[in-house]
Amino acid sequence: MVPLIVAVLPWGILVGAYGVESGLTPVETQALSLVVFAGTSQLVAIGMLQAGAGMASILLTTLLITARHLLYSMAMRNQIKNLPLRWRTALGFLLTDELFVNSPQTQTFDKWYALGGGLSFYIAWNIATLAGIFAGASIPNLTTIGLDFAVVATFIAILIPMIKSLSVFVCVCVAIAVSIYCEMQQIQAGLLIAIVSGMVSGYLLYNIKRKEI
Amino acid sequence: MYWLLLILMAIVVFASRYLFLEPKLPLRLNDKVLRLLSYSAPAVLAAVIGPLVLIHDGELNLNPLNPYLVGAMAAIILMLLTRSTLITAMLSMGLFLYIN
Repeated sequence: MVPLIVAVLPWGILVGAYGVESGLTPVETQALSLVVFAGTSQLVAIGMLQAGAGMASILLTTLLITARHLLYSMAMRNQIKNLPLRWRTALGFLLTDELFVNSPQTQTFDKWYALGGGLSFYIAWNIATLAGIFAGASIPNLTTIGLDFAVVATFIAILIPMIKSLSVFVCVCVAIAVSIYCEMQQIQAGLLIAIVSGMVSGYLLYNIKRKEI
Repeated sequence: MYWLLLILMAIVVFASRYLFLEPKLPLRLNDKVLRLLSYSAPAVLAAVIGPLVLIHDGELNLNPLNPYLVGAMAAIILMLLTRSTLITAMLSMGLFLYIN
């Protein structure tokens, strides 16, 4: 969890600085992090507001970007569905990319560990947003110095140990290729399409290899 | 107007995170679906990393001196050598900020 909390900080600063640079008030910017708590959706919504997009198109885009969380809740279903409502609500609200990739989808799942991790991300995210709001007001070009590389560095560090088989390796390669293609084509659901493409590729290869044995 | 948008965004995001955690939803996941879902975590990480590293200002940047690409390669090598996520994240971020 710790490296991911480190990664959340620059990413949160970016969101805070971008919000006030785009004309939102500090309170409006902070409220996004407090209530929505979804980095990519926040960044895109701020950009669309600045560009003068309407509410319906912003909500539709949010839906497309956030649809990947359906996969996370499905993958975590067997671990969480039998917990009491307050646990399901709390873990559901906190179920970010970071929490998901850190939670084992197996018997070893620990709800307290997941809650602690999720709350750590939430607190770190909001403190970083606040820092970004203040820093963005005083440091020019804060949003262009490459704060997003923190996400790259930590996600690579988490991804490498996951690549234990050829099928996972192929899943990763396909997801990268499709995500780049979708981004070039500016497809809003690109992240979801890339994730599903990678998953299906890995799954198919696993089945082919199993039949050969 | 802004606050209504914010509340609706929060509902959309929360609903997609919560939907399949709901026990009343009639859905049983068989072994095939669980196997498919086991690929979701690496797929998520890869799909987020790809565009961040290789696309800047809407254009594909395959220049070997692209600081994001250099930093990403450093992170891969550091992780394979050290097996420590913290060392990898810190050193590759340091390298990136130095060359960018």
